[in-house]
Amino acid sequence: MSKRTLPRLLQTPAVILLLIWMLVPLSMTLYFSFIRYVLNNLRRPEWTTPSFSNWRGFGNYEYVLYKAKDFWFAVNNSLFIVCSIIILTVILGLAIAMLVNRTFPGRGIVRVLLISPFFVMPAVNAVLWINMILDPVLGLNGIAVVGINELIAGLRDFPVLGAFFSLWPELTPISFRATQTSAYAVIIMVTWQWTPFAVLIFMTSLQSEDEQQKEAAILDGAGAWSQFRNLTLPHLARPISIVVMIQAILHLSLYAEIEIVSRGNGNKNLPYLIGEFTTNNIGAASAAGIFAVILANIVAIFLLRMVGKSLMD
Amino acid sequence: MAAVTEQSRFGQVIWPVIAWIVALIFFFPIFWMVFTSFKTDADAVKPEHLFFFTPTLENYTNMTENYDYWRFAINSVITSTFATAFSLFVGVPAAYAMSFTPSRHTKDILLWMLSTKMLPAAAVLYPMTFLTKNFLNIYDTHFLVILVLCLVNLPIVIWMLFTYFKEIPKEIIEAGKMDGVSTWGEIKDILIPLAWGGVASTALLCFIFCWNEAYWTVRLTTTDAATLSKLIEGNRAPEGLFFGRLSAVSTAAVGPIVVLGWFCQKQLVQGLTFGAVK
Repeated sequence: MSKRTLPRLLQTPAVILLLIWMLVPLSMTLYFSFIRYVLNNLRRPEWTTPSFSNWRGFGNYEYVLYKAKDFWFAVNNSLFIVCSIIILTVILGLAIAMLVNRTFPGRGIVRVLLISPFFVMPAVNAVLWINMILDPVLGLNGIAVVGINELIAGLRDFPVLGAFFSLWPELTPISFRATQTSAYAVIIMVTWQWTPFAVLIFMTSLQSEDEQQKEAAILDGAGAWSQFRNLTLPHLARPISIVVMIQAILHLSLYAEIEIVSRGNGNKNLPYLIGEFTTNNIGAASAAGIFAVILANIVAIFLLRMVGKSLMD
Repeated sequence: MAAVTEQSRFGQVIWPVIAWIVALIFFFPIFWMVFTSFKTDADAVKPEHLFFFTPTLENYTNMTENYDYWRFAINSVITSTFATAFSLFVGVPAAYAMSFTPSRHTKDILLWMLSTKMLPAAAVLYPMTFLTKNFLNIYDTHFLVILVLCLVNLPIVIWMLFTYFKEIPKEIIEAGKMDGVSTWGEIKDILIPLAWGGVASTALLCFIFCWNEAYWTVRLTTTDAATLSKLIEGNRAPEGLFFGRLSAVSTAAVGPIVVLGWFCQKQLVQGLTFGAVK
């Protein structure tokens, strides 16, 4: 055996497995997206089995783009959820990473507490937040609002100050079960889970910051804000873009949280819409799936390019 | 200069306090879940028992009859363990070849492997269901879940192992070759002992990702191979009546993994950013 065949042989199983995993289902999706294929249709039973004779060309794509009323809503909602999560996690992550990037008593415990949410499984995360924390009646959300209302009601009995508090309205807890508010609930719970990820990455990166440069800046009289803007932020540019891209890819296919929180209230993102199509209209589901692949690829190309560059270092 | 020291002395007290508060806020939902798991279902929804109640273990002792917890837990353990083992079994030789005898294409292969991780799972949901249900007849089997979990995590496993193996001096491996050690012997007796820490943390991280996986494990199983993700997902609408028992089963589902996670924070950065952040 020559010197080069063995190494190739060793990586073959991994390559073949991933090749099958990537190509077979995806080419089936591509094929289904060009034919009429539904799971139940009494009038046209021939559409219920995939076959080339049911060729529909770009009909499924047209249907998804122009006729399925939820498609653009789902795309917009996906983007809204993903962008909100990214903005929140990056800002919170930066702030917390700066906060923890110093020595103080109990720093190790603080780190452990901060990272914990990341390891909670998505299903538990969603069930915990939507029921026990955000529920407007039984959750902490509802209990806290009732408590505040009672407090204000009590304060109304005081002389002088009471007149001020009687101007305050009775608060009503926000229900996170409506279409729009349940998107907020998803944003809250995913931000809670992924801020630790941003913190961890920014913290790792902050530890490699040039301390001498910083000291020089302090001697030159640079304030905390200008140090942050001119030294720390440029140093973190790369980790920030990595955090943004990884989250963009992962959260574009967010599913468990949406399914658990929405419960058919109309709040959906692209993967959820594909799941809905999959119950009957496979052609449309596949066309929407191809759109999801394109959307993910737009981000993935940038991420891969950046990762590829760091591979050379 | 005086102003600077003054400010930093103030900062020395205030910033750590804020850091502690933020950390406690972030941990609070987990604390609340564990805390509620010791309340009865009736107490859990009564505001007057919000903080003061008689703690009980009944939610944990009744977990089997309420949720059939152990069946799901055992499925999670089996699938995550075997998927991790299988990923390493396929990943270690591949990463070994890539890091010690790289070719022109190694970088492209690595990047291509990562790109498989970026395909949205929803796009191939129906083909996967179709293939496994009607064609291969492996829907809702442990084998399928293990295979899918392995494939989903294989890119990360190979990537992490690759970054660890790259740190090992080539000469050590070469010396082994000179002494006529077989390839398998090189991996088993030289590479793995040297990169033991890296292999262990890769395995740990892979196990955590398998355990928490919530798309395929829910979509490709019904009962036989259903994991804890499926169990929790199935109880998403308790309508407030069962907060106590739901908290207990959730705590049991995430507890071990959160604790494991504490031990591999550092590797997490490498594993999730594909070595792009150091």
